[in-house]
Amino acid sequence: MFKNYFTVALRNLKRNTTFSVINIAGLAFGLAVFLLIMEFVAGEWSANRFQKNYDTLYRLATTDKNNNTGYYIAPGFAPAITTKIPGVQAVVRVADGIGDGVLTATGANGNSSTQKNFRENNVLYVEGNFLEVFSFPLADGSTSLATPQTMAISENMAMKLFGTVQAAGRTVIMSNQFGNTPYTVKGVFKNMPQTSDIQAQVLLSIHTLENAANRDDNNWADPSTTESGFTNIYVQLGSNANAAAVAGGITNTMHRINSNTAEQNAYLQPFSNLHLGPDFSYPYQTYGSLKLVVLLLSVAVLILIIAWVNYINLSTVQSFTRAKETGVRKVLGASRWQLSFQYLSETAIITIVAALMAIVLVQLLQPVFNGFAGKELSLAMLNQGWFWLAGVGFIIVGAILAGGYVSFVLSGYSPITAIRGKIANSVKGIVLRKGLVVFQFSISIIFIIATLILYQQLEYMKTSNLGINLQHLLVIKGPTVSSENQAALNMAFKDKLAQTPFISKFSASNNVPGVGYNFSAAGITKLNPQKGDDKKNYFMFISDEHFFDTYAINFSQGHSFTANEAATGWSNAGKVIINEKAAAQLGFAHNENIVGKKILWGKEYEIAGVVKDYHHLSMHQPIEPVIYLPSVSFVYFTIQTDGSNMQAKISSLESMYKTYFPGNPFEYFFADDTYNAQFSAEQQLGNLCIAAAVLAICIACMGLLGLAAFTAKQRIKEIGIRKVLGASVFSITQLLSKDFLQLVGIAAVIAFPLAWWAMYTWLQDFAYRISISWWVFAIAGATALCIALLTVSFQAIKAALANPVNSLRSE
Amino acid sequence: MITLNHLSKWVTVGGIRTFLLKDINLTIGEGEFISIMGPSGSGKSTLLNILGMLDGFDEGEYLFLNEQVHTLKEKHRSQLYKDHIGFVFQAYHLIDELTVYENIETPLLYKSIKTSERQAMVADMLDRFQMVGKKNLFPSQLSGGQQQLVGIARALITKPKLILADEPTGNLNSKQGEEIMELFTQLNKEDGVSIIQVTHNEKNAAYGKRIVHLLDGRIEKIEG
Repeated sequence: MFKNYFTVALRNLKRNTTFSVINIAGLAFGLAVFLLIMEFVAGEWSANRFQKNYDTLYRLATTDKNNNTGYYIAPGFAPAITTKIPGVQAVVRVADGIGDGVLTATGANGNSSTQKNFRENNVLYVEGNFLEVFSFPLADGSTSLATPQTMAISENMAMKLFGTVQAAGRTVIMSNQFGNTPYTVKGVFKNMPQTSDIQAQVLLSIHTLENAANRDDNNWADPSTTESGFTNIYVQLGSNANAAAVAGGITNTMHRINSNTAEQNAYLQPFSNLHLGPDFSYPYQTYGSLKLVVLLLSVAVLILIIAWVNYINLSTVQSFTRAKETGVRKVLGASRWQLSFQYLSETAIITIVAALMAIVLVQLLQPVFNGFAGKELSLAMLNQGWFWLAGVGFIIVGAILAGGYVSFVLSGYSPITAIRGKIANSVKGIVLRKGLVVFQFSISIIFIIATLILYQQLEYMKTSNLGINLQHLLVIKGPTVSSENQAALNMAFKDKLAQTPFISKFSASNNVPGVGYNFSAAGITKLNPQKGDDKKNYFMFISDEHFFDTYAINFSQGHSFTANEAATGWSNAGKVIINEKAAAQLGFAHNENIVGKKILWGKEYEIAGVVKDYHHLSMHQPIEPVIYLPSVSFVYFTIQTDGSNMQAKISSLESMYKTYFPGNPFEYFFADDTYNAQFSAEQQLGNLCIAAAVLAICIACMGLLGLAAFTAKQRIKEIGIRKVLGASVFSITQLLSKDFLQLVGIAAVIAFPLAWWAMYTWLQDFAYRISISWWVFAIAGATALCIALLTVSFQAIKAALANPVNSLRSE
Repeated sequence: MITLNHLSKWVTVGGIRTFLLKDINLTIGEGEFISIMGPSGSGKSTLLNILGMLDGFDEGEYLFLNEQVHTLKEKHRSQLYKDHIGFVFQAYHLIDELTVYENIETPLLYKSIKTSERQAMVADMLDRFQMVGKKNLFPSQLSGGQQQLVGIARALITKPKLILADEPTGNLNSKQGEEIMELFTQLNKEDGVSIIQVTHNEKNAAYGKRIVHLLDGRIEKIEG
């Protein structure tokens, strides 16, 4: 019996090659996309789960009375949390973003001729117990980083620095903002898995910073400070501890130690919510986005459903050619159940073939998809938890539903109708099939609209007037490996830049637009502040006098710093520049002339100028109140050129840089690239939407093609008669196409409000956004209509051209 | 074997009832060979379909082997015709995707007969119709007469008591038609299979022991 089913199924597939290929291809593409997205979802789901203490680990967060959350906490609270609060088993301080710099490996016997320099941004200052609490297994050496000036490095880093993972005991000089400090390698850890939210190539003992000599005057980085928050604090609880109770204890401890924290409450964010929140309204920061995961999952499921719908459409259409077979089998004694089983086994074969093809497709598309996702994904990601089960289960259920419907329809025809080949005249299922086409096109139109609006917003963010100029700006990273006369070298380099003919403007600053500010501060007020003014937050940005000119930032009042003010630093010069937002937040009236007025920040500062508000960061965020502090800083050099022949200019800059800053790698980027990198998430989403839209449309068109073929067959007699009566090919094409265009019209009516709602919600994430215009809908509708028309008219013209003699002769 | 009492079937179009069959009374005994004749639209095929239980009727009663067909449940009814009736069609209605062997085998599959037994039965049948050499051919590779032979072999494989043939020679030339009629006669005489055939052809109709003439849904006369 099975053999018979199987033979017939295979022979049928072979006989209707075109149909089989379209059907299997549609399903295979749908499945491939489903699998690719499931890989991503599985990756997000599995984040941090490899930590053996996953269930007892928490990240300490704070919330203030305005529900702002904070994750950078002053490290000085940690000892009290460890010792004073019951239930706390371990506390791990981790400081990221402050340690990046250059590593210099000395040779095996201190031989400096073999030394190698590498810049590394992924550097963490960590508690001594970091490698004991977190599960990052060692390849060499030991875990403890309790001794100052000890470090652990990744296998990758060990290979780079020493050409071997057996690096324990070796010495590395770390040059960063805290000076040049030698560290002993205690351990080499296996490269951190990409499912880890904690990522590092280099772990430095935070105890190193306890020695003021290792801080190079950066006293904010003293690990015993309770003032400057620069560490993440991770807490491991005992298995019976109550997180809320411990958080309460931490709140009290913080309030007791530093009264400035009086308005803050501690919260312990469980590791299970560190990557993805438990719901959309989870107020704490997560590394992944639950919204994105749910969105992607919906896209995956929708595409797979579209593919199944397509299968249903094509298979039922196919059923006319098999009507006779069905009828004969019934007459020969097949029960409905037996027939259903036969068609189900055909579905099973098609699904299996499609699934195999999908796996091949996944392999082929994996690099492209990984490019989109920015992750190293593979089918192996699915090999965990319930993912295989859920994925395979979903596919099986889909196959049973789709195949079940098809077989139900096919086996339900009365044998006489079927045997006479009159199924085509039966209306059974036609409403459903039309409904399915409407569904497919609704989804397609929604994807088209989403793509259009997404790109519009992206284009808007990229091209609208930011208030600054980022074109032809090359940014060079300043030196971090310092020599004895570093200050003099910096100034000499600056002078050299000033003399270089192809450089029209340049500036030195501590950060750049599109990357960030320097720090934020409160307690800044007018001389006669209102109550509560001191709680307001300002973003501080450190730059020299040329910054505003180089980035073409306009002044609404006053002027830039003088060279002398920059050279002496803000504390000595007593000058600041503020933006209009800051002026307003300080309480100055609009258009009030405030140049020369004083503000208080510990001491008095005079306002040298007010710059017009500009988008320092992307349009996701509103423009913040910013205060600019004068200094000669050398973290970034921004250079303006005419933009031509950049390769030659860059190499000439490199040789200059190498002369002045030996031992420092020459690194540069273009200001606009870095600024635009802020939209990478939207860019990815945009790419994904385009891919989904194209795929949905392709599959929907296959379904439409099927339905058109069905209708042409169903109306073959009518067409024949009309032709005999003198109808033109055009009028028959029109007749056949009209119905389908109506379907697409209905799909549009359903899709428009849904798409509008979805995109309106999405746009709310942007502080500055486009308004949705009507023509987006018009374009999407017209696109779908044109594609549908092309698909249908192909069948319609074929039917219209057919010789009526053939169609009228039957019976 | 078959008794029809006051059997009628109609369709209602635009509120007007049109009779396809009206007040049919007919008794057919076991081992009979009956031909049904009549012009197009006289209800021949409808009657045959009702006899084969492929179609229902609106009035009257139909007794098959003393069972009231119209009161039977669908499942029981299909069981009844599966066990006792074989069908032969004008257009042969072989399954194009199956070979001669597989076509003949198909009814047995639906009766869940064991593989070895099935093989023996199909082999016997191929032998009897002298088609052993053609068993791996597909229908499209056979002539019309050969296809109809396969159709008859397929109808006979389940050893039915009754064969219903709807214009079995309609698509064949006269020589092939004669061979089929000879075969029917032989089956009827030697195997005792009852045969009811619908035909246009007077000569073929004469092979039947009785000829039922239909006109406009009524029995006009019964010859023999």
